[in-house]
Amino acid sequence: MRGIHMSKLKRAGVIALALGLVAGCADLQTKEADEAPRSRVFVANESSNSVTVVDGDSFQVIATVDSRNHATHDLAVSRDGRWLFATNLASGRLSAINTRALETVASIATGDRAHVVTLTNDNRQAWVANIGENTISIVDTGTFRILGTIAVGKGPTGLTFSRDGRFAYVSNQGDKTVEVIDTASHRVLKAIPVGTNPHFLVLGPDGRIWGTNTGGTDIYVIDPAAQEKVGAINVGPAPQQIAFGFKGLQGPNAYVTVAGLNRVVVVSADPSNLRILEQIDVGQRPNGISNNREGTRLFVVHETSNDLKVIDTGSSSVLATVPVGRKPIRVVYHGN
Amino acid sequence: MSVRAGGGGGLVIALAVWSLLPGGGAGPAAAQGVPVGTAQNAVGTLVVVRTDGIEHRLRGRGSLPLFEGDVLRTEAASQALIQLRPGIPVALNERTTLKILSRWDKAGGTTRILRVSRGGVWAKAGDGARQLEVESPAAVAAARDAEIDLKVAEDGQSSLTVLQGTAELGTPFGVCSVRGGTASVGARGAACTAPQPVNAAAAVSWKQAVTQ
Repeated sequence: MRGIHMSKLKRAGVIALALGLVAGCADLQTKEADEAPRSRVFVANESSNSVTVVDGDSFQVIATVDSRNHATHDLAVSRDGRWLFATNLASGRLSAINTRALETVASIATGDRAHVVTLTNDNRQAWVANIGENTISIVDTGTFRILGTIAVGKGPTGLTFSRDGRFAYVSNQGDKTVEVIDTASHRVLKAIPVGTNPHFLVLGPDGRIWGTNTGGTDIYVIDPAAQEKVGAINVGPAPQQIAFGFKGLQGPNAYVTVAGLNRVVVVSADPSNLRILEQIDVGQRPNGISNNREGTRLFVVHETSNDLKVIDTGSSSVLATVPVGRKPIRVVYHGN
Repeated sequence: MSVRAGGGGGLVIALAVWSLLPGGGAGPAAAQGVPVGTAQNAVGTLVVVRTDGIEHRLRGRGSLPLFEGDVLRTEAASQALIQLRPGIPVALNERTTLKILSRWDKAGGTTRILRVSRGGVWAKAGDGARQLEVESPAAVAAARDAEIDLKVAEDGQSSLTVLQGTAELGTPFGVCSVRGGTASVGARGAACTAPQPVNAAAAVSWKQAVTQ
């Protein structure tokens, strides 16, 4: 009896130990999974009203998040990668997406034809350009309240901040200008003429502001020190968006999606010596483009072929093609 | 405007039932077309502009349905009283223009929002779904269990007076907690001012004609 009893006790102990170890392993795995470096690529699918989430290393689709709105257009990801904000043109709303839960957790009415969204450098506010009412809505990213609006020029379509956060830049396609806004007073300081139908704006690696004239054939560069356009170059019909990267020792280079050519045009990112270095064939009507943190990978989405291509900047070759939703417009990358 | 019973009755009932379903009226994608309350009285004329541009006018007492996305407008010498669901009375002073909106979030559900571009409103907000936010070009007033008055000048400067309870006035540069009997101002490019004692009753004496 005693032997049997001891045997049962031993067995129970072994099982308990095993269960404890399994539980411990599970705990550890959970913690490691939480802390493990992850990279994510987020794609806004305008005609699917969704955001496709892609693993930035394996290029596998992880999830498709319903934006709970219509015509999901532009994206901005928080510095810690936990929040993704998406504009929705048809709804005039901003979706707030929890990237861990992979779900939309808020829908915020900003303004008619909410077009682009950019986070302030401290990530406390999301600025949304409403192309239908010529305003910028300022959204508190903690409470999701609209704290105020700024009247801007006709058809605001691009939005970015200077490195020091003192200035916001807004491209107005109707006025063919980029307006400079003082972020301390919210007053428009200046309107810089830039060209035909200016659209996308982005802060470059040198602190200058890069933009595309989507109604024309050129891209341009603005120097925040002088608040002047300091360079421009023709890249082809309907340039869309710009990312930055390196080709081995060469760089940083600006990579421009040119919808009219079905190519990514590579430009030296030196405003004093802008020149085309290379052209990379991609899919039909490339629009959004983003780079990984190291500048070795580009992520390009195509409005017509409804896919994401991953490009290796070292070889200028396509590493993967990932099907996404209908009419993908914008892609953003986040790497931990 | 006239609402005909009979053939449209089923639709009205269906809409009413749908709006009561959990999350039914709260779905952000389906926000437009959602009934949000009624306009009940107008001194002078209240103009209601639907999202498709159709205009309705209320003169005197009535029961004009209001929907998300409606723009409400009063001109000189006009005031209006509306009742937002589920029980938020709001008065519009003369020369006021506002849009009825909402925010949805998973944690808090639907919050009713009035976006005032000019003029002044008085509102009595409650708890839960009876909370209210009033936005202006320069600030936002958030009221929960509070009675507030917000005046919005042509340049967007916004003066919040709290009659009862406590409300928040936020601008892009900070948030102020404003208690009953005090007022704070939010202007473009500035933080809200420290609340100062005011004669709150006098600040809302304008609404007597329309709320009687």
